[in-house]
Amino acid sequence: MRNSTFLAHAIAITTLAASGAAFGQRADAVKAPPPATPRLADGTVDLGGDGIWDQPWITDFGKQLVGDQQIPFLPWTKAMYDYNKSNQVAYDPQGFCLPPGGPRMFGTPYPSQFIQDRKRIVVIFEGGAHVWREIHMDGRPLPKREDLNPTYFGYSVGHWEGDTLVVETTGFNEKTWLNFNGTMHTDELTTVERISRPNRDTLHYEATINDPGAYTKPWTVAWDIPWNEGAELAEYICQENNKFLLELKDDNGNPFFEDLPTEEP
Amino acid sequence: MPRKFIALLCVAASALAAHSTAAHHSFAAEFDANAPIELTGTVTKVEWANPHTYFYMDVTSPSGEIENWALEMGSPNGLMRRGWTRDSMKIGDVVTVTGSRAKDGSPKGNARSVTLAGGKRLFAGSSQDSAEAN
Repeated sequence: MRNSTFLAHAIAITTLAASGAAFGQRADAVKAPPPATPRLADGTVDLGGDGIWDQPWITDFGKQLVGDQQIPFLPWTKAMYDYNKSNQVAYDPQGFCLPPGGPRMFGTPYPSQFIQDRKRIVVIFEGGAHVWREIHMDGRPLPKREDLNPTYFGYSVGHWEGDTLVVETTGFNEKTWLNFNGTMHTDELTTVERISRPNRDTLHYEATINDPGAYTKPWTVAWDIPWNEGAELAEYICQENNKFLLELKDDNGNPFFEDLPTEEP
Repeated sequence: MPRKFIALLCVAASALAAHSTAAHHSFAAEFDANAPIELTGTVTKVEWANPHTYFYMDVTSPSGEIENWALEMGSPNGLMRRGWTRDSMKIGDVVTVTGSRAKDGSPKGNARSVTLAGGKRLFAGSSQDSAEAN
């Protein structure tokens, strides 16, 4: 939270919410537990249903760490993190309407939906903008990074470990940040995501980030994503009218993106 | 506590609960959270576009000069989930905006809420709200 006024509002809201009487509402005696984890006919966990995953905005991976106390930066990623912070992350590629890439996609605050069968799982993301990931579920091995052309989302293979979907990904490009607040990565990045649905209304997302080009050791972040029963995806075409990009200045006050010269026909 | 204030907080609480909003660039890089604005003016143009809906309005200064302001809101999908429709705001409507002014001092702002011509107040899907809600 960036300012104390907002904090005061948040406290006031929390206090009011806690005392239902202030709203003149009847307090629910006991909140019903969420419905059980839905399953497909063969017993596999169903990550879909009549609804969407309301992804939260995860702005700081440092607050989502599992186990570690801090992000294991190499000196250059720490220096870039500090630099990015110093200019209010103005040069975040996602601000240019490029896809988030990597685990950040599940922490970008537009909803998502899983389309699932035995051979593949496709995750459709409303944000990022209007992108999808394909997770190969047919047992093929994860290709070597060297054999792949670098891409925003890399190449993913998945398998089930009990009720947890485990997704390994490699082949990332270097055009994205791991996180809104300026944690960067190299094309040596590989991720292992562990996705589970402990009940109908919760998707537990966990990602281990392994990038020896950027961090001293692998590190893991996790968060929960709430289900929104009955809701649907909408359209979001980020590239349409990005005034922020057109007006962005570099450190010297010059346009960050220069106009390309137009050739005479 | 005055009833109106409570109602306002209820709206704020539900806005915080709604995660889906505009979030693609840094609010702080473009706008100053410490420069709050509250403006009433006449809508001159509405750009219902991604990644941010913009609208423009003529605001008359105390000295009588008319200044055309650009106000950034959330994306159409985020606004839809906050109750906006294509007919919520039309050219010629008199609306009141609360938000933050652009850092460069130009007549541009990030809208947090808009009180529409009919008196209904809607949140504008400001990226500031979502960043702070985390």
